[in-house]
Amino acid sequence: MLNAIIPLLLDSLASAALIFFAAVGLTLVFSVLRVLNVAHGSLYSIGGYVAASACLFIASRQMNPYLSFVALLFSAVFVAAIFGPVVERSLVRWTYGKSEAVQILITFGLFLMLEDLQRMIFGVQSYYEDTPMRLLGTTNLSGVVYLNYQIVLIVMAVAVVVGLRFLIRHTRTGRLMTAVVADREMAQAVGIDTNRIFMLAFSLGVFLAALGGALATPTSGIAPGLGADTMVLAFAVAAIGGLGQIEGAAVASLIVGLARVLAIYVAPELDAVAPYAAMLVVLLIRPYGLFGSTSVRRV
Amino acid sequence: MKRIGLSAVALTIGLAAAWPAAAQEKPDALGLGIFTFTSGPAAAYGMPGKNAADLMIEQINAKGGIGGVPVSATYVDEAQGAQGVIAEYRRLAADAKNQVMVAALSSANCLALAPIAEQLEIPTVGWNCDTHQLLTDGKSKYVFRPNGNTVPEFIAYAIYLLDRKPDVKTVAIINPDYAFGHDAATIFKAALKALKPDVEVVAELYPKLGSPNYQTEISRLTTAHPDVVFSNLWGGDLENFVRQASPRGLFRSSQVILALGETVLQRVDLPEGVIVGVLGDGWWMSPDAKANPETAAFVAAYKARFGEYPVFPSIKMANTLIYVKAAYQAAMQKNGGKWPTRAEIAEAMKASKVATLTGTTETRADNDGLVDQIVGVTVKSPDHPFPVIGQMVRYKGDKLMPQAGQDPIGWISTLTPEFAKSLPKPGSYK
Amino acid sequence: MRTILAAAGILVIAALPLVAPWLQFVLTLAVAKGFAALGVAVLLRAGLISIGHAMFFAASAYGVTFLARLGVNDFAVLLAVSVLAAAAVGAIVGSFLVRYRAIFFAMLNLAVSMVFYALCAKLYGVTGGTDGMPVPIPTIFGISLGEAAFKQVLFYVSLMLIVIVGAAVHRYLDSPLGHALSAVHTNEIRLEYLGIPVWAVLLIAYVISAALAGLGGAIAGFAIGRVVPDFAFWTASGHLVLVAVLGGIGGVPGAFIGAFFLELLHSAAVTVTDAWNLVVGAALIIVIMFLPRGFYGFFEREKASAL
Repeated sequence: MLNAIIPLLLDSLASAALIFFAAVGLTLVFSVLRVLNVAHGSLYSIGGYVAASACLFIASRQMNPYLSFVALLFSAVFVAAIFGPVVERSLVRWTYGKSEAVQILITFGLFLMLEDLQRMIFGVQSYYEDTPMRLLGTTNLSGVVYLNYQIVLIVMAVAVVVGLRFLIRHTRTGRLMTAVVADREMAQAVGIDTNRIFMLAFSLGVFLAALGGALATPTSGIAPGLGADTMVLAFAVAAIGGLGQIEGAAVASLIVGLARVLAIYVAPELDAVAPYAAMLVVLLIRPYGLFGSTSVRRV
Repeated sequence: MKRIGLSAVALTIGLAAAWPAAAQEKPDALGLGIFTFTSGPAAAYGMPGKNAADLMIEQINAKGGIGGVPVSATYVDEAQGAQGVIAEYRRLAADAKNQVMVAALSSANCLALAPIAEQLEIPTVGWNCDTHQLLTDGKSKYVFRPNGNTVPEFIAYAIYLLDRKPDVKTVAIINPDYAFGHDAATIFKAALKALKPDVEVVAELYPKLGSPNYQTEISRLTTAHPDVVFSNLWGGDLENFVRQASPRGLFRSSQVILALGETVLQRVDLPEGVIVGVLGDGWWMSPDAKANPETAAFVAAYKARFGEYPVFPSIKMANTLIYVKAAYQAAMQKNGGKWPTRAEIAEAMKASKVATLTGTTETRADNDGLVDQIVGVTVKSPDHPFPVIGQMVRYKGDKLMPQAGQDPIGWISTLTPEFAKSLPKPGSYK
Repeated sequence: MRTILAAAGILVIAALPLVAPWLQFVLTLAVAKGFAALGVAVLLRAGLISIGHAMFFAASAYGVTFLARLGVNDFAVLLAVSVLAAAAVGAIVGSFLVRYRAIFFAMLNLAVSMVFYALCAKLYGVTGGTDGMPVPIPTIFGISLGEAAFKQVLFYVSLMLIVIVGAAVHRYLDSPLGHALSAVHTNEIRLEYLGIPVWAVLLIAYVISAALAGLGGAIAGFAIGRVVPDFAFWTASGHLVLVAVLGGIGGVPGAFIGAFFLELLHSAAVTVTDAWNLVVGAALIIVIMFLPRGFYGFFEREKASAL
């Protein structure tokens, strides 16, 4: 019995970690900017492409393979530095205070553009680079061989939850963000540079999106269409957890991960349905998500 | 308004009837619409096909084209989905210059295009789509498939497996979630049931086509402890699966069958002893291929141009173009050297027998092709840095095919262990 | 004046396939998407954005194939019943969803449509999985036509439907029920004080919009000859919103202007550039920022409700 449960739990956790990294940036951006960034999935896949390219470059130059771990992190920083400020200034800022329809459409337009930009820059072939995964080796747990990389991801996901919590609660920037979230006009009135906060928060969201893509590359292929698939998964997680709730996203990732893994083990034909069915059930009972509050509703 | 609309209907129908059927003059170029995946995960499989088409057309044109007319191809990316593929097909068909469609790679797209091919009366040659559902009604006039279908392809693996590992008890299946994956599983299971009824299927997984991550599926397969893991994943999916499954020991704990494994031999590190094949006879290193100087020249040119040896999709595409060329030659011989119409080309494809780079393809009365099946296992090679296929067997195409019009699954259930014994054994083809 | 313009526009479109026969398919698809986009536009008037309407589009096309499997073979019956089916699904889904506003409305529509999409894609035995199912050629009032003739009839019937359904939707939008939609957008509370049941107003709009998307889906199914789960994917829903907004949500013609414009431009662009999404995405952003009433804004006289 235990032999059957341990792989199930480990797979759920590993799966949840990947899902959490796909969704956390979306949730963070919504929590501060109140913008649902439909281009989030594209930023995720761009992170993946950049990371895979960087690791392939390291491998082709026969540099120290351990540099590829640095490359994963650095790619996310790189993508955030390029896209964060530019996108926020040129497009997202224009939508503040406008209706959700406008925000969704503007970012949907950005999504379409980024999908093609990726094709132009990275081509249309699959990218696959697994050096980081190979370097870490494997562990045999109750008869199933797991990649140590999968376990590292679980630890990192927990670290990101704790880190974001610390950032928001205990740093000056984080407190300013909280102030802006609580009352935008008031924050402005007391002299907080809300534009700077928004740009920082959006760039942090882009960083998390790209980091998610980068961390996924060692165990999955990157190909066109990844952005669209990731987007809708991130939507589901963010909605289940409550839009804008970081801890909510973590719990939602666990739910979706468990649902998917259970489906694959028990009813494989339902594996793709599981995340959305979970989303629908949660939203019908608690439309504002597990951790959301009704204050977001604007009537 | 309504009246105007109706009279416009009448006018259009009248015009359509008067539209010229086809030109008999020799055109400046013979247009081919070639459908394959040039983007997305499936491009890992589709691009070698496109590469082979480029090379083959170049070689045909260097020798003066077909009947003195140079060939020019328009490529359509199947990754855009059925809707876009159909729109492109119609657009290409509207141009009388395009006389033949080489379509398509994906079974799903072939099934979607077949009724349109019949309606527009355009010879359409499936260069890679293998679903046995395609030509079952036997009424097809314009849709051809010179490369065989899923029935012989996957029976071949069941027979080979039982020869190589007669004591197999449990099987797990991981196939892509669409017609090709489900058909293959049905056929493979039916063949095992007929040949060794006590084999149990312990897990059946159908991940979505294009899934990037198989970690949970790999855990699921491992926990089922199957003797055999069968898969017809392909393209980027197959590469991803092998790269993720290999470090997790799946190839050590079970005998793995990768039906399309030959396509990734040069790209991923496949261990020894994996049962692989080429869904037909298109293995560029097979004894027949090596004996054919034309094939050797094609392989050398391909390697020089693309940096990789051809994989079986490349050979399938090359063979399909040879098939199209042969149909033109036959049609022109029949009508006294005039440029053939679309209908005459289709007529020439009927019941033809064409020598290809790797064997022959014989077109039956139902337009399905008979080709041999080569299966083997991966072995290290002294000549190449990647594994090649050893312990090969070459099953005759007609042996593993039901008669035209016969229900394939019903036919498979009539197979007996004695029938399997009468076939050649692994290692006999060398 | 605008009626004449619209009539002229439809006549030009009706005549286009005479010049370029392959355009007929593209134009039929444009009509189909136009209907669906019109459905999305109806809800946009109330400030509700749905990223899930491709579900009704797909549901109706699947409905046609399931009905055909049951032996129903008449074009008019198939069309009518599948649109009713879409409307019925709309009524059920809508009765839950019209309670929500803004981002939650968008997300719930997305959730429902993705469950539908995933079920269509995964239930291989029922729906044919990602391969989808063929849509047969129906008979028209008992006459069985060849495929080519049917496709022509389909095209001209859908053009006629633009006029008939378009006029009906125009009347609806011009009725108190239609005006109430814009009022929901601007000030919902006041509407409730006036004793107008907002819930009912929105449910009616939701059902109408589902039926319109269903009509589009049925036409598209017949035109393509196949229905696949991708019909219902969220990006397809996004494209419907895009068509509606590009064309302009100010009136009925907007959705069709958007659809014809996009499909024709796509056909032209496909031979020139692969970067079609880049063009469309940029166009969408530009239109929203600088042309909030869409292309239809060029033809409009009075100011209509923008986003």
